[in-house]
Amino acid sequence: MTSIKDLSSILKSVQKPGRYIGGEMHSIVKDKENISLRFALCFPDVYEIGMSNLGSRLLYHTLNQDPAIWCERVYAPAEDMKAQMEKHGIPLTAIESGEDVKAFDILGFSLHYELCYTTVLSMLKLAGIPLLSKDRKEDEPIILGGGPCAYNSEPMADFFDLMNIGEGEELLSDICHLYMQMKADGTYSRSAFLRRAAAEIEGVYVPSLYDVTYNEDGTIAAYTPKFPDVPKKVKKRIVKDLDKAPYPDKLVMPYIETVHDRITLEIYRGCIRGCRFCQAGMIYRPIREKSPQTLCKAAKCLFENTGYDEISLISLSTSDYSRLRELTDLLLEWTDDAHVSLSLPSLRLDSFSEELMQKISSVRTGGLTFAPEAGTQRLRDVINKNVTEEDLLRSVRIAFRGGKSSVKLYFMNGLPTETYEDIEGIAKTAKRVIDTYYELPREERPSGLGVTVSVACFVPKPFTAFQWEKQDSFESLIKKQSYLRGCITDRRIKYNYHEAKVSFIEAVLTRGDRRLAPAIAAAVEAGAYLDAWEEGFSFDRWMRAFASAGVDPAYYTTRGFGLDEVLPWDVIDCGITKQFLKREREKAYKGETTPACSEHCSGCGASALGGKTRWCK
Amino acid sequence: MVQVKNLPYITLRFKFYKKGALQYISHLDLVRTMHKIIVRAGFPLWYTEGFNPKPKLIFGAPLSIGCESDCEFLDVRLVERMNESDAIAALNQNMTEEMQVTEAYYTDGKFSDMAYLGYDFRFSLVDGTRALESIAACLEREEILIKKQGKSGKEKVMKTVNIKPQIHSAKVYADGEEICIRAILSADPASFLNPEHLVSVLKNECGILKEENLAKESYSILRTDAYKKDLSPFV
Ligand code: SF4
Repeated sequence: MTSIKDLSSILKSVQKPGRYIGGEMHSIVKDKENISLRFALCFPDVYEIGMSNLGSRLLYHTLNQDPAIWCERVYAPAEDMKAQMEKHGIPLTAIESGEDVKAFDILGFSLHYELCYTTVLSMLKLAGIPLLSKDRKEDEPIILGGGPCAYNSEPMADFFDLMNIGEGEELLSDICHLYMQMKADGTYSRSAFLRRAAAEIEGVYVPSLYDVTYNEDGTIAAYTPKFPDVPKKVKKRIVKDLDKAPYPDKLVMPYIETVHDRITLEIYRGCIRGCRFCQAGMIYRPIREKSPQTLCKAAKCLFENTGYDEISLISLSTSDYSRLRELTDLLLEWTDDAHVSLSLPSLRLDSFSEELMQKISSVRTGGLTFAPEAGTQRLRDVINKNVTEEDLLRSVRIAFRGGKSSVKLYFMNGLPTETYEDIEGIAKTAKRVIDTYYELPREERPSGLGVTVSVACFVPKPFTAFQWEKQDSFESLIKKQSYLRGCITDRRIKYNYHEAKVSFIEAVLTRGDRRLAPAIAAAVEAGAYLDAWEEGFSFDRWMRAFASAGVDPAYYTTRGFGLDEVLPWDVIDCGITKQFLKREREKAYKGETTPACSEHCSGCGASALGGKTRWCK
Repeated sequence: MVQVKNLPYITLRFKFYKKGALQYISHLDLVRTMHKIIVRAGFPLWYTEGFNPKPKLIFGAPLSIGCESDCEFLDVRLVERMNESDAIAALNQNMTEEMQVTEAYYTDGKFSDMAYLGYDFRFSLVDGTRALESIAACLEREEILIKKQGKSGKEKVMKTVNIKPQIHSAKVYADGEEICIRAILSADPASFLNPEHLVSVLKNECGILKEENLAKESYSILRTDAYKKDLSPFV
């Protein structure tokens, strides 16, 4: 056990030592004598990021509700701390107990972003746990992963014992219970446990139980389960009724500032929109809402137990919550008196109203963000972003009138069918936002106008209508970025863009298959760590790692995937059918839009997963 | 937001300790944390006026990272008098073991009356006996110089400062295996001495706490008392 005393000399020589001390209010400490299973919820990023993660907050609460399980938190030490730990031989420890995670039963990693893969492996190394699943001994922990990247975790398949496909609340409990049961009745061995988990628990994917074969041209021939009781396709697990799902009544209160240092209320899961580039919009379907009453009760309880002065209503598109008005009214009944402000991120342009504006007017941040995603109506129709320029200008007008003077606009470069006209459209749209400001009577204009154009690079994601598309080469993306810079002549427009090379690596990892594992291991060997941070990322290191492992990154990016090709993520059934995605792809090329689920059900397939949904037919 | 203007307030002062791992929490983070604790405790808080009302919390001298304390002060403005021991209980329930309130009383006093702070330094060193002599010699010098980042116009420059006048008294002695210093340092905002500065002098001048010995050597600093100008206890 590493105590704070042992760490104290080191803590005095690292940045932000508060990240490592634990002991926060509402952190859960149990008597380990009465525990059957020790679970380490591992977040492959630093404390401030991990502590803000809604999914981790949910799972920490859910698992710890079980008296037989002690779930603790583990975060990635920052670079300087990692160096000190390596120098002094201090292993990776869990926050609550300060104990070595190697002695735990299960380590569950949150895979929220592909670029965290190298951090996952570095954390295993720090913990002294073999990287490859097949090298782990009987008494070493089970390593599992979950979160959005689990939907195509093939690049990490060799490192993980088990993947959670879908929502973790019930799934993780089932996995833990099977583990405890097998330990208790003496039938546990790694292989017996993994086999039973795969066969008996919906949503469990055990990569080692599948043989993958390849065609001569390198494409995948087939995924074949090694045993008849292992499912051919692993079906996503969902929580059927969110009103009945566990929700934390307390939050671990960080002593240091975290990125989302506030109460986050998840108001629904899924998305009615169906933007064709958006993975989240597909993999979290079907749409399941929580009732305003459930939410308000949870919010009140969380406020009393935390003392936070801000509640953020979280979802993929807040204004699409069908009972938003009812909810905000209920909340405003007490939040004003309690000096608590509401924030509603992820608002859609077409629903942005004066009324909503007033409800969020108490939010401190001066700025508002809008995401038109593309610069012309033509391209917005291709990607099924059903908003018009008029929607945007109307919204910014309301925002300006409401006293918000800085507006941030999100776009994407490299979308399928994009032309230079579309790119120029981005600059024009931003200019029109500025014009809208000056069209307002002087007394209605807030001071300090600022328009930021932030442009990401398109990454064709699994389980989207664009999953087969090629990614633009990064040379082409860089050219487009500098073209756009040339188009933006107004000095009041601030332009920033994502590093095209980062998006390229992201695309390789999100579309990759099992053959990538040696490359990821090589990147870690070469020092890749906290890759999701600009300081941690090195394109050249990645390219060297690909080369050393004989991987051609272009195969996964600029090549595009054939419509009949077996995709690495075909082994997963996320509910959305391939037929639907193909249909959506065809419509994209014709520039046809698909209505939101609230207007018309387009039969995406997600309804087959069940669940208390509002719109699904 | 509802805000009744110009409500009168009374000030409830808390004395608390902040120890153990909480030494690694910065003053700014403490302020943030304390705001939430006070709200959770359900006090009849006085709020500032304006667009974004906040409770008013005023802290005594800030404590730097790596320093523990038995003697921290916090003033909270209330719109209504509440029983002191109830207030202590409500706060302590909402704080962890390493930070607890020991006293509470109503006051009109100002933190500007705090002139000195007392500290206990404890060092566990590889060669304690030798260090004891060199530390004693160092503390007795006429001038104790440190290099500090300062400003000359707009530019950042390294300045050499004599901290001797900010040290009211400092005695070094051995306590078992450990070398200790009992020091009373200036708390006046204009000449506040961060106790870490004293440690860095000893690091540089007496060769203690070298990076390669980090695993073996360590030190702790504990703020123990606060004094007024005439060295009577600050309350
Ligand atoms: S089944 Fe229909 S309503 Fe449900 S998510 Fe899919 S498209 Fe939308």
